[in-house]
Amino acid sequence: MKKTVCFILLTFTLLNAKEFNTPMKTYMEGLSTEAKAANPSFSGFDAKRGETLFVSKHTGKKGGEMSCTTCHSTNLKNGGQNVNTNKPITALAPSVNPTRLTDVAEVEKWLRRNFNDVFAREGVALEKGDVLTYIINQ
Amino acid sequence: MMKKLLLITALGLSFAFAGSVAPADNAQYQKECASCHFGYQPALLSKASWEKVMGNLSDHFGTDASLGKVESEQILSYLVSNAGSGKITANNSTMQITKSPYFIKEHRKIPAKFIEQKEVNSIANCLACHTTADKGNYSERAIVIPNYGRWE
Repeated sequence: MKKTVCFILLTFTLLNAKEFNTPMKTYMEGLSTEAKAANPSFSGFDAKRGETLFVSKHTGKKGGEMSCTTCHSTNLKNGGQNVNTNKPITALAPSVNPTRLTDVAEVEKWLRRNFNDVFAREGVALEKGDVLTYIINQ
Repeated sequence: MMKKLLLITALGLSFAFAGSVAPADNAQYQKECASCHFGYQPALLSKASWEKVMGNLSDHFGTDASLGKVESEQILSYLVSNAGSGKITANNSTMQITKSPYFIKEHRKIPAKFIEQKEVNSIANCLACHTTADKGNYSERAIVIPNYGRWE
């Protein structure tokens, strides 16, 4: 019985969650280990928590109010615009922009920069994992 | 003969700009820098200015533009080897192209409302009005100001 439930749950997860490529999976596992070390009751990343984080407002590095949506907009299937320079930003959603979340170095670079700009600090493993889980499912 | 040629070349360079600079043609620079803002041509700043810019990318005009050590060194090398030495960079050791006395003189007649409108946003947004800025061409003939038209 337990096995069947597990199997159904697994199938459900696989059908719904979008897949990371192998290097990104390894990166996510690293974040997972880090999150577990920080909080033993950690039981996996959550897209909903990621979304809440993505739209939440903060006093950014420049001192003004910022959120991820300031530049990326609230619909990740659409492009955004750099608030300082007006430069267009291509869509974050992998469903319309398949190159997103495929290169670990790029992902790490932008998470570092953007957390600093929006939160005025670096992100912790739980936050990074949640936000990436939110984005991969867009 | 050779000396004379060098002198002429040096003189030519020190007065260079005349509305055009070599395009920013480095793929890595385009990827890392021009993904957030206009790809300013290396000749628009001096070597000393580029060294300052690349020396503190984690606080790049108030935003975090930090790069890995290798990428940072490669881009610095591209920028300094193509840095400007002419009119446009004269008397400007700051990190901002817009602080050059020549730049200020060239833009002094532009009403603030042209810059402040949302399509432009900043005087540093070259391509908003200089329609061929990405090709390194800043000639007056190629200026079109959003919502106002040609600059005559």
